[in-house]
Amino acid sequence: MSAFDANWSLMTPEIVLAALALLIFTIDFMTGIREKKPYLGRLSILALLVSAFLVLFMNGEGGAIADIFIVDTFSTVFKIILLLAVAMVIAISMHYLDKNDDVYQGEFYSLMLFATLGAMLMVSSADFVTLFIGLELLSISSYCLAGFKKHQRKSTEAAIKYIILGGTASAFILYGMSFLYGLTGTTSVVEIGKSIPALYADYPYIITMSMLFMLAGFGFKISAVPFHMWAPDVYEGSPTPVTAFLSVVSKLAAFALVIRVFFVAFWSISEEWTFLFATIAALTMISGNFIALTQKNVKRLMAYSGIAQAGYLLVPLAVSANYAPMAVNTIVFYSVAYVLMTAGAFAVISYVTEESHSEEMNSFAGLYRRSPFMAIAMTVFLVSLAGLPFTAGFVGKAQIFIGAVTGELLWLAVIMILTSIISFYYYFGFIKQMYMREPKANDANLKVPAGLSAVITIALALTIILGVLPGILTNFFMEVSHWMF
Amino acid sequence: MVSITLFLALGAILFCIGLYGVLTRRHLVIVLACVELMLNAVNINLVAFSSIGPFANVTGQVFTLFVISVAAAEVAVGLAILIALYRNRDSIDVIKHDLLRW
Repeated sequence: MSAFDANWSLMTPEIVLAALALLIFTIDFMTGIREKKPYLGRLSILALLVSAFLVLFMNGEGGAIADIFIVDTFSTVFKIILLLAVAMVIAISMHYLDKNDDVYQGEFYSLMLFATLGAMLMVSSADFVTLFIGLELLSISSYCLAGFKKHQRKSTEAAIKYIILGGTASAFILYGMSFLYGLTGTTSVVEIGKSIPALYADYPYIITMSMLFMLAGFGFKISAVPFHMWAPDVYEGSPTPVTAFLSVVSKLAAFALVIRVFFVAFWSISEEWTFLFATIAALTMISGNFIALTQKNVKRLMAYSGIAQAGYLLVPLAVSANYAPMAVNTIVFYSVAYVLMTAGAFAVISYVTEESHSEEMNSFAGLYRRSPFMAIAMTVFLVSLAGLPFTAGFVGKAQIFIGAVTGELLWLAVIMILTSIISFYYYFGFIKQMYMREPKANDANLKVPAGLSAVITIALALTIILGVLPGILTNFFMEVSHWMF
Repeated sequence: MVSITLFLALGAILFCIGLYGVLTRRHLVIVLACVELMLNAVNINLVAFSSIGPFANVTGQVFTLFVISVAAAEVAVGLAILIALYRNRDSIDVIKHDLLRW
């Protein structure tokens, strides 16, 4: 098929987002270096919403550009989740950037939009080349964002750690891909999936090796144990909105990638990797939750909490062997819940840590006296992260648990419940600080800025609505017969 | 004709040297160079497969071009971050960067 026959209109949302990101970049350097530019933040949110609208209404029933760029239900749903998540992160960062004069605003927003573009490419690509380009677009933009406070030692240290370990992870993924290409002569995930059964009979060791290399690289990107050591350092050092971005967008885009590669390319040898995923999920849940117990720094604690959440999200992959659509359903639902509760929690954390100039747990002391709305919202997000009833997090975890039990992985389900109970301890550490500690003497009452309170309100409302009436989303997912082509 | 296993062995050796360097060296420029070495090991694999592999075709060479350009972008960002780090700390020794630890 020639390049001119392809249905390029499928890429409209990506092209529009890229054009608007470049536009924001251009407006930025036409309007001076160091001014405050709140309109650029609003423009980027608008760009993301336009792109989400196009994803929803332009693509129709989907299609593919030469098996390289695929638009199906899976990619559409993930793109909308990611775009809305980034819009929330940008609303959080607008307040942060106003407070910090040493951040170049236009570059921050355009880098974030380019990273989103990379995430969208990752979600829709079905070819190793596009998949790699999307991954690197997301990663390289994230490296820059992690080191964005360039006069601050912690931020640059986080960025250098991130880029070295991230580059190594990319090399691992590519090394695995190179063997798959060599044995099949194609980089298309679908074609590789077709030739894997015959190849696996001939060269079981090479296929297993390349799968393990890719798993190590992807495990780094989703910060699964034992490839998680970068996450706490980078999350602590980065500017807080970037931490929110990394823990929401990077992680979910990498999950979409893992699902695409393992469910399509390696599906026929699923009995080889489900046990691996079960082991990784168990390790991730156990070490994430246990190490989080000892943390004092809020962002570091959220990093370990994010690692533990990645463990919960890995459980459906481990039980997927007989329940593929079911597994994708639960992962997508938990992803929605995860975006809402994490973005909401980071909105509160970003505001509180900026106001008190401290990232220690005790910066939350007496938050209920200073701003009851934020304290109550934070409580709901934490309860949802811990997985207690009437929140979206509970429904998501319950679905994952039921999936694990029906998939006959009872031991994994038990580990999941036990580690969730451990996680109550550190989530309630926040709640104890907010309600049972007196605020410090010089802490005034907090007035929440409009953008932040919008994010918190939306996240709060949806977390509770999805917790009470999960049917809104689950019924929609049940009707999806084909997640992927 | 040279057997493909020789090229794959070269790729594997380069990859291992790169990984060893990333894990053990203290000078950050050398660590970045070792990351590049790992990516070049991938390039050797891809080019070898695309010229004398069991299914030789041009896709591997195209993939290699993408890998080379992305690696260049990555090392450019890496060196920029490294300069920012040097200005803050007057050192690019890995051991001395220990603000962030559990």
